[in-house]
Amino acid sequence: MSSVAVAGRTGEWLESPGFGVYVHIPFCTHRCHYCDFNTYSGMEDQYEVYVEALVADILRWEGPAPMASSVFFGGGTPTLLPVGSLARILTAVRDRFGCAPDAEITIEANPEGTGEKVFAGLLDAGFNRVSFGVQSLVPSVLTGLGRMHSPATALRAIAAARAAGFDDVNADLIYGSPWESTSDWRVSLEGIVEAEPNHVSAYALTIEEGTPLATLVATGRVPDVDPDLQADRHGTAEELLGAAGLERYEISNWARPGRACRHNVLYWSAGDYAGFGAGAHGHVAGRRSWRRRLPRDFVAGVDAGTSTEAGAEVLDADARCGEAFMLGLRLASGLDLAGMGRRYGAEPLATRMPVVQELTSRGLMEWEGSCLRIAPSATMVAGDICARLL
Amino acid sequence: MDQAHQRAIAVIAHIDHGKSTLSDRLLQLTGTVSDRDMREQYLDRMDLERERGITIKAAAVRMEYAANDGKRYELNLIDTPGHVDFGYEVSRSLAACDGVLLLVDAAQGIEAQTLTNLYLAVDAGLEIIPILNKIDLPAAQPDKYAEELAALIGGNPDEVLRISAKTGEGVPEVLEAIVEKVPAPTGDPHEPLRALVFDSIYDSFRGVIAYLRVVDGRLTSRQQVRFMAAGLDVDADEIGVMSPDAQAVELLDTGEVGYLISGIKDVGLAKVGDTVTVRPGSAATALPGYREPKPMVYAGIYPTEGDDFPLLRDALDKLKLNDAALTYEPESSGALGFGFRCGFLGLLHMEIVRERLEREFGLSLIATAPSVGYEIELTDGVKKVVRNPTDMPDPSQILEIQEPYVSVMIVTPTEFVGTVMQLCQERRGELKEMHYLSTERVEIRYKMPLGEIIFDFFDRLKSLTKGYASLDYEPAGLYGSSLVRVDVLLNQQPVDAFSTIVHRDKAYDYGKTMTERLRKLIPRQLFDVPIQAAIGSRIIARETVKAKRKDVLAKCYGGDVSRKRKLLERQKEGKRRMKQIGSVEVPQSAFIEALRVDVDGSKT
Ligand SMILES: Nc1nc2c(ncn2[C@@H]2O[C@H](COP(=O)(O)OP(=O)(O)O)[C@@H](O)[C@H]2O)c(=O)[nH]1
Ligand code: SF4
Repeated sequence: MSSVAVAGRTGEWLESPGFGVYVHIPFCTHRCHYCDFNTYSGMEDQYEVYVEALVADILRWEGPAPMASSVFFGGGTPTLLPVGSLARILTAVRDRFGCAPDAEITIEANPEGTGEKVFAGLLDAGFNRVSFGVQSLVPSVLTGLGRMHSPATALRAIAAARAAGFDDVNADLIYGSPWESTSDWRVSLEGIVEAEPNHVSAYALTIEEGTPLATLVATGRVPDVDPDLQADRHGTAEELLGAAGLERYEISNWARPGRACRHNVLYWSAGDYAGFGAGAHGHVAGRRSWRRRLPRDFVAGVDAGTSTEAGAEVLDADARCGEAFMLGLRLASGLDLAGMGRRYGAEPLATRMPVVQELTSRGLMEWEGSCLRIAPSATMVAGDICARLL
Repeated sequence: MDQAHQRAIAVIAHIDHGKSTLSDRLLQLTGTVSDRDMREQYLDRMDLERERGITIKAAAVRMEYAANDGKRYELNLIDTPGHVDFGYEVSRSLAACDGVLLLVDAAQGIEAQTLTNLYLAVDAGLEIIPILNKIDLPAAQPDKYAEELAALIGGNPDEVLRISAKTGEGVPEVLEAIVEKVPAPTGDPHEPLRALVFDSIYDSFRGVIAYLRVVDGRLTSRQQVRFMAAGLDVDADEIGVMSPDAQAVELLDTGEVGYLISGIKDVGLAKVGDTVTVRPGSAATALPGYREPKPMVYAGIYPTEGDDFPLLRDALDKLKLNDAALTYEPESSGALGFGFRCGFLGLLHMEIVRERLEREFGLSLIATAPSVGYEIELTDGVKKVVRNPTDMPDPSQILEIQEPYVSVMIVTPTEFVGTVMQLCQERRGELKEMHYLSTERVEIRYKMPLGEIIFDFFDRLKSLTKGYASLDYEPAGLYGSSLVRVDVLLNQQPVDAFSTIVHRDKAYDYGKTMTERLRKLIPRQLFDVPIQAAIGSRIIARETVKAKRKDVLAKCYGGDVSRKRKLLERQKEGKRRMKQIGSVEVPQSAFIEALRVDVDGSKT
């Protein structure tokens, strides 16, 4: 294992976070009950054309194309595609942008249907980080969430990835679902700790509009999530993951030292990235854009030689600064106001200082050098704090 | 027309018992309004009235009627406001009449407000024609209620007319009964003019239109007249009658009913109850019974947007032109900003004013809890009236506090007598009388502080009696009481809008109710918020809004930055709209909800 600290992997806010490329694979075998991602099932016959379009769209990118410091294949379930297709897409990224020698190249995977062979292939293709959707290690909780895999499958998948040679493995967990007891959550955490991933993301379940789960809650068939209980569960995660040597570097993310996710740190540092694929978002210098949501429309755009962009918004300095607060304050390190000043100028900072002053005097935020962060005790009310600084 | 062939009448009825429908039939039968022109419920003018189903402003309509005796009569139908708050105005309308139609729903029986008005009519010595309406309804029980009515006014159950205003059945008999039973007016045509103003409305084109009945003498147009109580001399620019539209006339003869327009721009100068006479040759004395309108209930009214204060002032100035009973003076509140302390005849009047301010002037308002006027004698002998709890002096300076009492009448099915008495007892009521209207219904009278009525009383009465009881009250003087001010503190900071004056024995209940209500209404903050109720420095109730423990977007990656930003922007906007009490953010809706008391005494 390398122990050299790479920029971004310490989990600290970066004034110059590099450049990221995000690739969206909008396919799943089945939709989970809580999921509102842009993903579709039953479209196996579309994989081929989608990959072709994706490759073509990447190659004809006309925006700034600095060398990528991180690449992220998200979904959906990217590992549904044959390794060869994933390799082709990654090659296109390399061809158009180039990848830094130490670039972090992540792929999201679901535990089911991934064996050691797949991981060896991914490693060969150039991926060096795998992120698993584990969610829980309790069968009844997995059933409630509508997940297809068993706890054993998940643990096996993590082991297989590590055996194949992936150092950087992440496990996503979800807590505070209506089916989960306090001890269920401990069981999941303890099981994950034993599997020794070097990164864990643990999210409070959010009931998103339009999901099957939202309908169940609205009709009273499933109780709504309890925010106090979720706060307790977050505390349990903090306790157990911390004891296992994983440090929380963002609201919902823990990593062993030097193993933070560089791509996500770039997001939270309000950095620039290009996004490819159906519904993918990109951000370059205050311009946020997003592509056509439906895979069919995305493919048609590429085929017709027209842009696949569906919309964009351009933010002024103040809005950019507000957004940078919203994102940067998620990081445990907080954000560096000296760097912020260089990026956005003094004015948008000046207008926010009285609020900062109030929040620090109330113990909700704190300074460390020129870094401003949310006090650890106030992590779980970051939303309220960010809303004031937006 | 000569006095012998005139009849002035009013209809006394509970809401929905069919007054408007009967009025329509009378207008049609007498040919005053052609069937084609018949608009539903002709006499109800304002939208507001129509929606709330109450008649706020009286109107008078003249009808010509060819009776069975072969003679023509001039009938004047004077409308009466149907609610407790307008008791004085009802009494003036009745004073302008020779008789009343007591109209009762044959499926419901008589209600409390109708009883009050009936007693007013009896006191005024008016001929009463009892009528049961809606006999076409399957649920009608005319025999039963005829007995109730007969017992009330004396007489035989078979003298009670039975009609259906809807189908028209029995309505011709009503017209005959008016001619036969109601006496003709007996004023003296040779005396100087004395005309009773029984209603007064403001019209933006014509100014004030005063409705009046000529009691003695005669009124001719372009004469100079004097409003005696106001001491105001004006020219009678136009006189006329409503039939049902306005028609100018040259003369209003003795006994006739009509209107007078005289260039007055403010109803406060042509008040209900005033006497109009001529000048020169004025009458020596005015007609009896004039009274200044007196507010009974006070509340602070504040714009939710502080910038709207000037708009609120303009709106009140305009409303006042049409509402002599409304009073207002500026005040300020730490919690609510700048507003006005307004005085109202009662809770319904308050609700009407508030609705008109919001609807006609597009204002968004917060009203404080209503209060009554307390007369306080200080230890140094000074007397003062306190209409806003925050003006209450320190208890050590107070020698005595007096509060207004009302005489309350409740009509309820006998099965609820116990519940009603318990409620009244709780509200410091003193039982005065019980009168069985029939074996099933009873009229109960209590003397009670008005302050107890304006806080939630009607609501409680209704829910305790499954909606069957009805309520009415009238002022009954001032009495000494042991009263204290209860303050409500948020995070140690008193919120003036929530202070109230209550009886010492009720202080704890009020404190507990308010703190509990607020605990549910105030959103969780980033710290624990204690909510306390206190008398002076003594805490009598306490609740805590626990600090919120989770307000965080669990996830926020590159794909949803815009969406998450919008989410937080909405949250930020919500914060901006909140009132800041110390460090506590309180949404407007919490004030509105916490201060909500149910008010409408008119609905059954
Ligand atoms: N069945 C029936 N309904 C009636 C009769 N008179 C009035 N109504 C209905 O009772 C309701 C209230 O009547 P309205 O004249 O508006 O009552 P007001 O509030 O006293 O003026 C309306 O829906 C009328 O149509 C009647 O004789 N028979
Ligand atoms: S696997 Fe992930 S993207 Fe696919 S449906 Fe489930 S939660 Fe959504």
